[in-house]
Amino acid sequence: MMLPSRSKKSVLIFLVPPLLFYGAGVLLPVVQSLVLSFFSWDGISDMKFVGFSNYVQMLSNDSVFWQAFGNSMIYLVICLTLQLGGALLVATLLLQITKGRDLIKTLYLLPAVISTVAIGFLFQRIYSVDPVGLLNRLLDVVGLSGLQQAWLSNPSTILAAVSFPEGWRFSGLYMLIIYAAFMAVPTELEEAAKLDGVNNWQMFSKIRFPYIRPVWITTTIMAVTYALRGFDIPYLLSNSRYGQLVTTYMYRTAFTNTNYGYASAMAVFIVIECLVAVGLIFVFMKRKVDE
Amino acid sequence: MKTLRTITVAAVSALALIVSGCGTGASVQDANNINPTGDIKAREISWLLSRPADGGVITAMNKIAKEYAKKHPGFSLNLITTPDRPSYIQKLETLAAAKKLPELFDIDATPFAQKLAASGNMINIEKLLKDMNLYDEYRTSALDYQRFDDGSLYMVPFESQVEVFFYNKALFKQAGVEVPATLDDFPKVCKALRAKGITPIALDGQDMWPLERYMAYYPFRASGGDYIKQLKRGKAKLSDEVGRQAVEWMASLGEAGCFQEGFSSTGYSDAQALFTTGKAAIYNDGSWDASALATDSLNSEVRDDVDYFHLPVIENSATAQNEYVAPSGIGMAVNSQSFDPLVRDFLEFALKRYPEVYGSSGQISPTTNVEPTIPDNATPLYKRLFEDADNVGQTTAMPWDTQLDSTSNTRLQQELPLLVQGDVSVDEFISTMDKVIAENGPKAFAED
Amino acid sequence: MSIARIFGGPRTASSAADEYHRRKRLSVHGAIRWVIIAILVIIQVYPLLWLFITSLRTEHDFASGDPFGIPKQFTLENYARAFEAGDLGVYIRNSLIVTFGASFFIVLMGMMAAYAINVLGFRGSKIVSGIFLLGIIVPVQIALVPLFIDYSQINLLDTYASMIIPLAGFAVPMSVFLFSSFYNYIPKETYEAASLDGAGPYRIFWQITLPLSLNTIVTVVLVNSIFIWNEFIFANTFVLSDGLKTIPLGLQNYIGAMGNTDWTATFAAVCVTITPLMLIFMVLNKAMIQGLEGGATKG
Repeated sequence: MMLPSRSKKSVLIFLVPPLLFYGAGVLLPVVQSLVLSFFSWDGISDMKFVGFSNYVQMLSNDSVFWQAFGNSMIYLVICLTLQLGGALLVATLLLQITKGRDLIKTLYLLPAVISTVAIGFLFQRIYSVDPVGLLNRLLDVVGLSGLQQAWLSNPSTILAAVSFPEGWRFSGLYMLIIYAAFMAVPTELEEAAKLDGVNNWQMFSKIRFPYIRPVWITTTIMAVTYALRGFDIPYLLSNSRYGQLVTTYMYRTAFTNTNYGYASAMAVFIVIECLVAVGLIFVFMKRKVDE
Repeated sequence: MKTLRTITVAAVSALALIVSGCGTGASVQDANNINPTGDIKAREISWLLSRPADGGVITAMNKIAKEYAKKHPGFSLNLITTPDRPSYIQKLETLAAAKKLPELFDIDATPFAQKLAASGNMINIEKLLKDMNLYDEYRTSALDYQRFDDGSLYMVPFESQVEVFFYNKALFKQAGVEVPATLDDFPKVCKALRAKGITPIALDGQDMWPLERYMAYYPFRASGGDYIKQLKRGKAKLSDEVGRQAVEWMASLGEAGCFQEGFSSTGYSDAQALFTTGKAAIYNDGSWDASALATDSLNSEVRDDVDYFHLPVIENSATAQNEYVAPSGIGMAVNSQSFDPLVRDFLEFALKRYPEVYGSSGQISPTTNVEPTIPDNATPLYKRLFEDADNVGQTTAMPWDTQLDSTSNTRLQQELPLLVQGDVSVDEFISTMDKVIAENGPKAFAED
Repeated sequence: MSIARIFGGPRTASSAADEYHRRKRLSVHGAIRWVIIAILVIIQVYPLLWLFITSLRTEHDFASGDPFGIPKQFTLENYARAFEAGDLGVYIRNSLIVTFGASFFIVLMGMMAAYAINVLGFRGSKIVSGIFLLGIIVPVQIALVPLFIDYSQINLLDTYASMIIPLAGFAVPMSVFLFSSFYNYIPKETYEAASLDGAGPYRIFWQITLPLSLNTIVTVVLVNSIFIWNEFIFANTFVLSDGLKTIPLGLQNYIGAMGNTDWTATFAAVCVTITPLMLIFMVLNKAMIQGLEGGATKG
């Protein structure tokens, strides 16, 4: 607490409206779907209480679910690499140039504003092989025509193909956040380091990055939880179970197969999965600080 | 602790809401009460539908609703359309779960629809149409397409279509092939076309149902409509002779390179473009695309070369040449809970007017009482398509996506491209699908 | 270059040569840096450019031509069709209302909660912030059916509120999280000084915390408007009337029979409908930089 002069009333005035809003808008339906996960329900017939059997089915008897889980993990890695890695790289590069920063920053953000439907269609064309899409054409130009293939049809490339666009389109967003954090690094710190003759890498690893670590943790949590809930692009680009994530499988289970109880069990799984991920991030980051 | 109590309260009220929301559906409405008593009170009625926003059905119904509103001030028809089918289905199911379906809604003859009908949510359309003296005006094939397995009818058709194989005569000639006489000729034809560098068949694999059509063809020729009716209940298996033949035929299409490379991620318009630009030789499509494929809006380079053939037969075919897929589009169901004198009166007015208004827009009416209007810019194919619609045989091939329970169907749609691409073997495919259907099919059709 | 500059001055010749090499190395570095930046920018900008060019293609060219080449002829017909088939103005208006409405709640609720948790402080604040954190990780799709049932019970269906509440609700946790991390940066002394001047929690909120939060507000609004502008699932589920359709719903008008989509008209509509967002974006982008730089010097 920071304010010495606060009353109980003032705390309530600030806390109750957001809690109510959030409780009614989010917690209530979430709790309701948690309840649903113990039922079997198709939306028409009466709900049947089935105890943990949705969970048992999901964890022990559904190979599609585990395939989707594996896919989600790989999807997460690809998205994080593109979003956080890309963001860090571009933000650092931006710091070193003087001209046109604002313009580049704005341009870099552009993909985020385009609607997913258009992005889905664009990438379908980029990956296409008949007619030859952009990617296959580029491969041909650089002499790698042996790699040409139908990226969204080949089971071994589908997942990477659906992950890339999602990672790509939001990297600008994370770049902005990280760049903003870099801008907040006190110039005195940087100048002092320069006088000590540090090189670019040392400036980054010893001065700037440690300073923005709290923002970095926030950004990582954002990126991880968004990626674990990623849905749109994989849903639009591929129906294959090789490109299916837990989220898209859950959506299909609920709305294509009208199996709401089972889908709710998957939602609970995603929540637990995210909790574990956030926990791991905190543990990992904290250990780094302690070192 | 306060927060804990809040959560407990929330959980309890959550349960209460769900229970009251989806309710003990004990009060079954009478699906057969087709003549509700009372006065006609004009108000707005809504139709939740999944049809093109500027398409023939919506245009016709808007016009008819305006005519009706003139006689009944205060009436209006609110058309809520979601043309993208998966998004529509999500919306429909959400509304159904909340018991908030509007007066009219679109639905295919799926197991889900059958459950809705069985729980008394939909008006018996056969009775309704008979009561309005309209029943006999409808094409048998159009009504049959909307029926459930037990022959009951709960949806009104608004279209009448035939599905054929459009092909490019010039490309066939170039490869020295004839129209396939039997389904077993397909791989041969494909190989010959491939050898000339021509894509044999353009397929919209992204929407999944087009490939699923191919899966239905062989069993339809071998056993009529019986096989799928048994299969979906788990009473027949893909490992049976008919099933295995069908699966092997699909695999042979893949081996022969029948479909364009990467077909499973090609969308509708891109697949059609492959055919209309003369890159692909065959395109399996319905008469709904007549304005694109059988008028002079078709690319002039291929216009004169385009012709079509019907679904080929097989040796000892159980169904005849003029029996194939002849769908009447997604059907319209009438909500029994909000069915009142106004809805009935409007429907009677609208369904009587509809064939004329719809037919004049160059579309095939689901009824036989109007001469269709052929547009001025039509090629000769257009008229032939219309004539074929009048000559479809007794048995219609039912698309499997309206037949199987949704879980099995989703899985089938995911496994089929893998089978055709050679990523799973015939045996793997059969054992996977038989297992999935055994788990889900009997459950979904337990009621009958 | 003058000889005097190369040889002149107090430096020795050898140090001048070093300097020359260092500069050259620097300029090579600089060139590589610019090449990398250029490639990245192309990757980021290209899709929008492609979208725009495609929206100017003729339908025939789109179907048969090279989708990645420069078209031989340009047409505005797609735009005509886009406006004819859909009420783009209405969709843009609705998207603006929903985006502004939701952003308002996201910012206000996020700030209030973070203020209570981090600045005022109370027993059990850790638990409350944990409850909020939980909301960051809930997949929204699963709440659809319960939400729909709830909304139908309180007659909230088919209103702006039915889109704004869940959109804002699901974004509030992230907003609380961002504001909380920012409030931890504001030095305790700032508040102590204000308190000594006799300011209560309300005045401090309005006069100190709120102005200082400007950069975070802009960040939160920016991030969320991107998601909300293109949001489809909630809008598709809760909206029934034409007059309330947002842009992603409106794009459905270009879908024809059996899913055959008029892509060139769709892209024309996309180009029209992202313009307001991009304008907001550029304005906010600038405000954000100013806010950030201001915040940095003040902090």
